[in-house]
Amino acid sequence: MLKDLTVRTKSRKIRQAPWTQTDADGEKPLSASRVRAVLGKSSDIVFRDFIMRGAEDIPCSLAVVDGLVDKSILDEFVLKVLMFDLTRQPELIRKLTTASAPKIIMERLAPANEMRQISKLGDALDAILSGDAVLFFGESATALVIGVRAWPNRGVNEPETESAIRGPREGFTETLRINTTMLRRKIKNPSLHFISLKIGTITRTDIVVVYIENLAQQDVVDEVMRRLQKIEMDGVLESGYLEEMIEDSPYSPFPQVHFTERPDVVAADLLEGKVAVIVDGTPIVLVVPAVLARFLQASEDYYERAMVVILVRFIRYLGTVVALLSPSIYIATTTFHQEILPTSLALNVAMGREGVPFPALLEALFMILALEILQEAGIRLPRASGQAIGIVGALVVGDAAVKGGLASPIMVVVIGLTAISSYTIPSYDLGIAIRLLRFPLMILAGTMGFFGIGLGMYGLLIHLVSMRSFGTPYLSPMAPLRIRALLQDTFFRVPWWALKRRPDLLDTDEPNLGGKK
Amino acid sequence: MERISTHQFTMLSAGVLLGTTFFPVAQLAAGAAGRDAWWCVLPAYSSGIPFGLMIYSLMGKYPGKNLLQISEITLGKWAGKLVGLLYILISAYFGALLLSQVADAFRRSVLPFIPVSVYWGGVILLVILLAWGGIEVFARFTEIVFPIIVLGLVATFLLAIPRFEWEEFYPVLGNGLKPVFWGTLKITPFSMEYILFLAGIITFLPTEEQDKRQLKTGIWRSIIIVGVLNTMVTLTEIMVFGPTETQRLNYGVLALGKMVEFARTFAGVESIFMLIWLGAMIIKVGALFFMAFWGMQSVFHIRRQNWKWYFFLGGVFLVLASLPEGGVELLTEITYVDDHLILPFTVSWVLLVWGVERWRKGVSKQ
Repeated sequence: MLKDLTVRTKSRKIRQAPWTQTDADGEKPLSASRVRAVLGKSSDIVFRDFIMRGAEDIPCSLAVVDGLVDKSILDEFVLKVLMFDLTRQPELIRKLTTASAPKIIMERLAPANEMRQISKLGDALDAILSGDAVLFFGESATALVIGVRAWPNRGVNEPETESAIRGPREGFTETLRINTTMLRRKIKNPSLHFISLKIGTITRTDIVVVYIENLAQQDVVDEVMRRLQKIEMDGVLESGYLEEMIEDSPYSPFPQVHFTERPDVVAADLLEGKVAVIVDGTPIVLVVPAVLARFLQASEDYYERAMVVILVRFIRYLGTVVALLSPSIYIATTTFHQEILPTSLALNVAMGREGVPFPALLEALFMILALEILQEAGIRLPRASGQAIGIVGALVVGDAAVKGGLASPIMVVVIGLTAISSYTIPSYDLGIAIRLLRFPLMILAGTMGFFGIGLGMYGLLIHLVSMRSFGTPYLSPMAPLRIRALLQDTFFRVPWWALKRRPDLLDTDEPNLGGKK
Repeated sequence: MERISTHQFTMLSAGVLLGTTFFPVAQLAAGAAGRDAWWCVLPAYSSGIPFGLMIYSLMGKYPGKNLLQISEITLGKWAGKLVGLLYILISAYFGALLLSQVADAFRRSVLPFIPVSVYWGGVILLVILLAWGGIEVFARFTEIVFPIIVLGLVATFLLAIPRFEWEEFYPVLGNGLKPVFWGTLKITPFSMEYILFLAGIITFLPTEEQDKRQLKTGIWRSIIIVGVLNTMVTLTEIMVFGPTETQRLNYGVLALGKMVEFARTFAGVESIFMLIWLGAMIIKVGALFFMAFWGMQSVFHIRRQNWKWYFFLGGVFLVLASLPEGGVELLTEITYVDDHLILPFTVSWVLLVWGVERWRKGVSKQ
């Protein structure tokens, strides 16, 4: 199904294309029969026909998608009003004709709070399929859109993937409007703007770009809009689709768009001058620009006291380095550079490896692959089963591997350390990148020792310094050096009372007004 | 047009100026000045300041042009092209020698069995990537790596203190100032290597008035930082090995790394230091690669965004790197190029262009 949805323009030439908004049909003048012709085949589309009394009898038709609308609102404030209440207003009845009906209903009859006139076929289809009701008057080219969207949705829960010991317990949901509301509740400022657009020629997914005027750089906002508007695909079912379409370096393993399920995180990012992209149907919100240091920060860093955060961040950075390099260093040390080990440790390592028939590189690759398999197996299982898999992997397989002579005890320690360290990385995306990069580094270490690790690390550094995320260098504030941002909120976080100025990481339009006072 | 900030310029200058000079600096200075070798370093580096300021003054008159392009204007097209060709040859050959030194340093210290071509190929690949990324990427790379190199050198110094033999320090200037003068002359080409780089990089520097003042300070700062660092390295080697042994050691800093010991637990951490020194090697070879490429752009008007020229130049580096044998022969060759090509070429070129420009200015005033 997914494959069908993402068929691009090229393949349309060889098969029947579905109806799309970009087709000329969308611009055609509106009429009830045209809408019926397009939507009438679907069983979930309901056309409620009735006669409205006026100077003449007006045949009306109310089109909705069953399940996407609040039927009680429709019954109470639309159908009842037009079919029964109207009969008690003879003055209005005399004025009511097919041509005047939309205006009179909007202004004097229906007490619905969201209502607008439309006259294009595409607008009507969009409105119906998005959950609004559309009221047609005979074959008139004018119809009324009545906002009655309501569908079952998941409540606001704490996001499971970003749980925090301290901080709000609410997470975004799959409903776009609930998500925008959560942000509006946090930032009650007229400068907070939500710009809507639709992406996906078939799915017509609602997207909202959020930013705070004068804090976000207008260039960045324009660039986000430009990249989003350029997207031409059949469907957007998750924000990950957009992430890949708007990132700067598509072939990089590093994430360049930050994503989160937490409204407090998005609000904090908006206050730093960043731009968020909310996609209907997913609780994952994208935030740009994103620099590497951002992926090593967590929302709690700003809720805990600064001294604690300094320690936590240090552990996180250390954990990232250990997760990336420890297997490679083990391989390089045992294969090429035994001289850096103290004699007693070197003897222990040698004794541990005595019965292992493989070189250190193969031994480590085998163990790391086993770790990856265990992680992947555990991640999609129910929580209890996942834990069991983890325990089985760590205790049984690890122990069996050592006893069976497949791996040395120190190798198991190294792998365990690597696995635990990788959990200190707050960003799942960055964690994946680190897991991926471990393999080439291990191969380099196994073939060229520390020189290989050096090549790999410097190569990685060149890659990182050449990357940008929406114009912001990826390694900022380290390179190019932004000393204040580096000292205030990168490796350390100074206390809130010392954060008098916004970090100039993004060169926000108002860098001196103080964002984190 | 790419532009780097004044801070990036300072870091890049310091990174290129330091490069891998901490390997031979003590050996060369001690060869001429004995135990007073550490006196030579700062004056030798300072000799680059007037030349840097000359280029800086020309930059103001010809904004957006490098010294090669300025030479074509001041000395005439063909003389300018000839200078450009010499610039390319010197940069490429010296860069290749330093590339060869990477393999030599690793093979003589921590990884003797890996083929030299692996070292050359690995480093040149990274250098090509850097050059392809452009000067902004190179500047950002140096911004990260240079402080690590400084930390590495400072750590080497601090960890070597327990092995200092304090009697090696005295007598200070026991043989007078003459050996110090000869020692200074021996290391002066190091600063001229940087002047050649400066001749090419000026097109990428900021042009605002305030930035210009900071650029001037950047030249001073980088020369003093590197001068102090290399003085520290030289002093450490003299104090640990004594002047005679310092003269003999080709890679004194590596020998220092080998002697490091933490609390009788970790020893022989030279392989970890080699990781850091590799960064210095990449910066230096990268700078010379950039220089050769700028030369080719100025003389042959090649396009920047064309992979084939990068690989062509990389190939030239690899071929030239394979010419000298390692060890003493390689170091002799590097010293020879420094003394007999880089020093005279840089001094005469910069003085000539600057002099002609001044003379023209005088004539036009009259």
